[in-house]
Amino acid sequence: MQLWLGFAVLALVFWGITGVTQKLSTNAISSERSFLWFCWAMVALSAVVLLVARPHAGLAAIVVASSIAGGALNGLGAWTSFRALESGGKASIVISLISLYPLLTVLLAVIILGERLSLLQTTGACLAIAAAILLSLETPPKAP
Amino acid sequence: MTTPTKSRRPAAWLLWSLATILLWGTWGLVSKVASDGLDAYVNQLLYTVGLAPLMVFVGWTVWKHSPKENPAARKRGVFWAFLTGLLGGLGNLAFFEALVKGGKASIVAPVTALFPMVTVLLAMIFLKERLGRVQWVGLALAFVAIYLLSM
Repeated sequence: MQLWLGFAVLALVFWGITGVTQKLSTNAISSERSFLWFCWAMVALSAVVLLVARPHAGLAAIVVASSIAGGALNGLGAWTSFRALESGGKASIVISLISLYPLLTVLLAVIILGERLSLLQTTGACLAIAAAILLSLETPPKAP
Repeated sequence: MTTPTKSRRPAAWLLWSLATILLWGTWGLVSKVASDGLDAYVNQLLYTVGLAPLMVFVGWTVWKHSPKENPAARKRGVFWAFLTGLLGGLGNLAFFEALVKGGKASIVAPVTALFPMVTVLLAMIFLKERLGRVQWVGLALAFVAIYLLSM
């Protein structure tokens, strides 16, 4: 297995666990307060990361700007997803729709970064998006 | 008699959902650009800098509008939210590392977007939630997708 794939699967596992812990959190407190404490944990983690990270002055501006923009985009995306759910969207539809976001990443990466996918990888990307949508659909309540 | 006219404006939830696709979809792209010149740790540090203005806004919203919660429930909710942030940050580090190690944004993004497969499995085991047939199909598709994307 390629090293990058191992890390991608590791990210998937960590983020997958957050699906459960986030639910446990928002069962007890508001989504805003939950998001705020989520961010505080990011700050705490970054303080630890600072012990091993070696930021230096010679970093390219585009790279620094992209990284900072990444935090803003991801955070804002979490906020807009909460707003979508709070403004009357059915969870099963909103979450399934939002699951389409990798499609945009694929398109942008192909157009802007010039990345190329093989036929099998393109099929895999389509299946991944379909799988994410199916997994996000609500389970029907158990019959009494 | 007047007949009610149907609004042609798109529903707010649809606009917020499309905004989310735009924001998260672009995040995958900028993360790859950043990973070409940064290691995963510095990327996570700068990512948190980008999160800061939103923290101020959400902090203000919570202070102004958040309902009074039961102290015990609040403590429990904060604990799980903090754990979510720590795990989310570790997930970010792995995501950035995948990009640093040569993973294409067009492949890493779809692979990592399969994280609900872990959520549904854990929810089934720990929260005793039942998986529907559709979710089982999704789970099977997810494994096939990871295999194909790794080729």
